[in-house]
Amino acid sequence: MFLRRKYLGTYLIFLLPALIVFTIVRIIPLVLSVRYSFTNWDGISKAYDFVGLQNYKELFSDTSIAASIRNTFFFGVFNPLLVTVLAIPIALILNQAMPFRNFARMSFFFPSVPSALILGYLWLFIFDPTDSGVLNRVLGSLGLYPIAWLAQKHLAMWSLIAVSVWKSAGWHACIYLANLQIIPKDYYEAAMIDGANGWQKFRRITFPLLAPAVSISVTLILIDSLKIYELPFALTKGGPGYATTFLTQIIIQTGVFDRMIGRASALSVVFVVIIFAAAALQLALLRRREENIQ
Amino acid sequence: MKRRSAKVYLLSLLLLALSCLYLFPFYILIVNTLKTVQETGFNPIALPTRLYLDNYIHAFKKMDLFVSLRNSFVITFGSIIGIVIMGSMAAYPVVRVRHMTTRLVTLYFLIGFMVPIQTALVPLYLVMERMHLVNTLQGMILIYSANCIFSFFMYQGFIKSVPLELEEAAYIDGCTPWKTFWRIVFPLLKPITTTVIIFETMWIWNDFTLAYLFLHSNSKTTLVLEIYKGVGEFSNDWSLMLTTMVIVLFPTVVFFLFLQKHIISGLTSGALKA
Repeated sequence: MFLRRKYLGTYLIFLLPALIVFTIVRIIPLVLSVRYSFTNWDGISKAYDFVGLQNYKELFSDTSIAASIRNTFFFGVFNPLLVTVLAIPIALILNQAMPFRNFARMSFFFPSVPSALILGYLWLFIFDPTDSGVLNRVLGSLGLYPIAWLAQKHLAMWSLIAVSVWKSAGWHACIYLANLQIIPKDYYEAAMIDGANGWQKFRRITFPLLAPAVSISVTLILIDSLKIYELPFALTKGGPGYATTFLTQIIIQTGVFDRMIGRASALSVVFVVIIFAAAALQLALLRRREENIQ
Repeated sequence: MKRRSAKVYLLSLLLLALSCLYLFPFYILIVNTLKTVQETGFNPIALPTRLYLDNYIHAFKKMDLFVSLRNSFVITFGSIIGIVIMGSMAAYPVVRVRHMTTRLVTLYFLIGFMVPIQTALVPLYLVMERMHLVNTLQGMILIYSANCIFSFFMYQGFIKSVPLELEEAAYIDGCTPWKTFWRIVFPLLKPITTTVIIFETMWIWNDFTLAYLFLHSNSKTTLVLEIYKGVGEFSNDWSLMLTTMVIVLFPTVVFFLFLQKHIISGLTSGALKA
């Protein structure tokens, strides 16, 4: 290190491009968000007034916003949960040496490759509510009645979650798979000698040693879930009513299209607080889990 | 061993069936681009009765395929260059020099890691408007390039594992930090650079939200925006709509098939290290 002290100025130049771009695109807008959240600005006129906490007070009396916060929480719990519950068994199966394994890996991974918008429209076609829709035809051939998948309040949300889980489960299975491959084989041999059965091996060896993958996978999917926008944009447009309206949709609608900058900014600030709270909660839970294992 | 193999074969057949079920939506997608609207309406699951390619002819005529392909390519390529160069450059001194400033910079970048871009879209729009970068490809490249903080953290983890001796030798021979970085360190970062490129390409190429908000005119459209435009134009003509989707998906699938080994191993090992 001693050689480099004299180059400290040069090293700062290395940092400069990233600092400038990051500040313009991410930090300045974030700071402005906080500032605008206390104003009634429409984004066009020169003058605006500071209105204190009025925007924040109004947020919680708006039914669409209350619904979108509820939905974001709901999706933020069930999407990560179901992805994880599916991804771990998929990873365990894909870790076995058997024919078609590579094809299976590719198949499970593939839905995470296309844009969420394309997948949303594809499933819109599959969920077609008439009896000639793809899914309803399958139901029909089983002797069941057609279902309006995206037109009923709870069903629309669950349909959305199903598509989202289908899209991400294989990707997250690959994270678990990478982790499985670095678990030493000796542990399993020792367990076999001790006469452990499959479930015991999973419960006592595999699952505890998957802790790093759990942390990464859950962190990634949680943030992805909270900022969901494209899938409901294509699939449900937030409907029926506000059944699948999420925070991002309301922020973009009020801020960019309705030009209510003050209100959208206040909601953005609430959104940041929610994300921080979720991240902190999740970190605390995962840390406790890791401590328990040790 | 022989006794076990029957069980393994049975399981692998089950796995094959499950994989096919998992890909079923893509079967539906492709099959219905090869049918007339009537045939699709009549039975969307069956295979086409005859080879029908008119949907593709119509779709190619209606799309600005050349323009949107070019725009998607320019935006992705430009942003990736920015992300790789700025991220790796910033990570280097932060790993190699222990100093207050470099530590503060890491903390500063961490904000961007925690707060998604969606939380400040509205003021971002106003900032971009002020710089006259709304509805320009340069503007999109600037926005996506801010993702250099993600590559920054990935590079940071990787540079730690690069041995110091080579650099020390270079410094003794009188190399400047600039030369040392580009001639010696950067080439050693190739594995993580591949991961960064794949990661970010998949995000930028597929992104709809930002392109939808910041690009308005037809001459600036991207491939994913073509899909959105198609919904307005060919509403109710699902055959044409699905055909547009297949055309837009085509480059992504080629990218995936060529790089699938790198994609799966790179994404996961990158994620485990970061």
